[in-house]
Amino acid sequence: MAAEMGLARSSRHWSRALRRRLLLLRRGTASDGCGCQNEALTSSKEGGDLGVGANEEEAVEVEARVRALQRLVPGGEELGTERLFEETADYIEALQVQVSAMRTLACLLDELREKRG
Amino acid sequence: MEKERFFGVNWQSMDAGMPPEMNSGAAAADQLPNSFLNLGWEQPMHHDAHFESALSSLVSSPSSNTPAGNDSVIIGELIGRLGSICNSGEVSPPSRYQSASTSCYSTPLNSPPELNLSGMDHQQQGRGGVPVPGNQMAAGKFSPFAADPGFAERAARFSCFGPRSYAGLGGQFGLPEAGKLSRVSSSQSLKAVQMGASDNGKEVPVSEPERPVTETRSKFGGEAEFGNSQEASSVSDRMTAVGAENNARKRKAASKGKAKGAPLSSSNMNPPKPSDGENSDAKRCKPAETDGADKDAAVEPKTEENGDVGRKQGEEGNAKPPEPPKDYIHVRARRGQATDSHSLAERVRREKISERMKLLQDLVPGCNKVTGKALMLDEIINYVQSLQRQVEFLSMKLAALNPQLDFNMEALLPKDMHQALGQLPQQVYPLDMASTAFSYAQQPQGTPLQSIVTNSLDVQGSLNPLESSLRRPPTMQLPRLDGFTDATSQLGNLWEDDLQYVVQMGLGQSQGTAFSSQSMPVE
Repeated sequence: MAAEMGLARSSRHWSRALRRRLLLLRRGTASDGCGCQNEALTSSKEGGDLGVGANEEEAVEVEARVRALQRLVPGGEELGTERLFEETADYIEALQVQVSAMRTLACLLDELREKRG
Repeated sequence: MEKERFFGVNWQSMDAGMPPEMNSGAAAADQLPNSFLNLGWEQPMHHDAHFESALSSLVSSPSSNTPAGNDSVIIGELIGRLGSICNSGEVSPPSRYQSASTSCYSTPLNSPPELNLSGMDHQQQGRGGVPVPGNQMAAGKFSPFAADPGFAERAARFSCFGPRSYAGLGGQFGLPEAGKLSRVSSSQSLKAVQMGASDNGKEVPVSEPERPVTETRSKFGGEAEFGNSQEASSVSDRMTAVGAENNARKRKAASKGKAKGAPLSSSNMNPPKPSDGENSDAKRCKPAETDGADKDAAVEPKTEENGDVGRKQGEEGNAKPPEPPKDYIHVRARRGQATDSHSLAERVRREKISERMKLLQDLVPGCNKVTGKALMLDEIINYVQSLQRQVEFLSMKLAALNPQLDFNMEALLPKDMHQALGQLPQQVYPLDMASTAFSYAQQPQGTPLQSIVTNSLDVQGSLNPLESSLRRPPTMQLPRLDGFTDATSQLGNLWEDDLQYVVQMGLGQSQGTAFSSQSMPVE
């Protein structure tokens, strides 16, 4: 959740959608608890299975995958294919940076822990 | 100078009505560019400050090269640039245009230029390797310039051959070009036939000026002449985005070199995918690049001009369907494909999408071996999912590593959420995070933040904040984790500027005063 807030900083479409989602979750947290934050990921995984499962014409396959991607990328449902790909590229970049930053931080913290004893 | 004299003879009739701004705009001491430029702009010159800038750049750069050996190069460049500029300014009615299929230098309707042409041809054949006659010939090309848009295209081709050929082949200057040009113009007429299959005879000449325009532009896109091939190819990409098989063919011919007699007819029948063709041609032209002094300046204004004209042409073209005034201006129907607006727009859209997919392919590792939309999308989806999972896992790990640290999550949400933020009770901690890779959870009572402020907040790019934050932690880890009281004071010292900026940016005015509270000791 905290990492998502970092991702939610940019002014891109997916980032704004992520912010909205986080806000809703934040509000919902008071009542629901923290289980719902994984919703986005699980539903997207289902979408991925759906895309793979469809063994029909190429266009239909591609379409299904595009829809899966839409579910993966925050705010992607509203976007057309072209814009979706743009947002996906930006989202992937942001994720990559986030992951590497968090990894670095985790390593540093580990070291510090070991130093302290 | 001989050039002046040559032009003086021929420009007499066209001297009237020279736009004064052209005279003042031309900066060079060289009078040659002045004279023919004024001429050329007599009619097509309707407006535009960027014309002037392009021309002045054009004028000034040749004047910088004075040695005789480079004269031909200069002239070649001038021709090329004028070609592009004139093309972009060329909205004159097609009535003045004549089909180029007859000869390399088809005679336009104006009589004085005809004289030039005949004189030029003679010179061409009879020259003895002296650069000056070459200059004259090249300069003579400008005479029908205003009248004949086809000239622009020929001039462009001329120029693209020019720099290379001039180097060693001063005497051979005219002949290879003549041969090339005739071949090209014949292929042009062939294309005209193809394109005009469904059009009536009138429309063919109309489409012709447009095609040479795009071809010229694409020539410049791929041409080695221009120093910045990136810009040039972007111009060509913009102008001839889809269905630019003609352009791809032309550029192929140009890049293969004048020495080779690469037959255009063979390439006519093998149109590659336009975007691929363009890319490969641009790359091929790059190695053969000759250096150019002020070409960037010339290319930039041309880009705008081409865009303007392309849009006009898109609206005026009878042979083409109407184009929406977006980035892709010029679309050509490929041979054997439907030419109605729907399918063309559809094709444009598809090309855009495939372009984006290529971008994604670069981002996602291991996607190069995969071919086909579906498989690639599969890879992309898997990659995004794996990245998301990694983020999740790492955040949990970090939370586990530092359970004692908390942060006020509301305070970290960016400015879009002002309304929500305003309702929350505790907004004490203005420490915002450009990258919450370093954020920590905060206890609900509102204890001070222990998060790292990354930097002065590049909201647009998540990369910058993360990079700077990556730089910072090594220095700050220790103070922050060991003693909270120490941490906050040190934090305050280190990030004072950033925090102030953060406060203004992220949390609204109500948060502004909260900054002072940061120096309060942490519980």
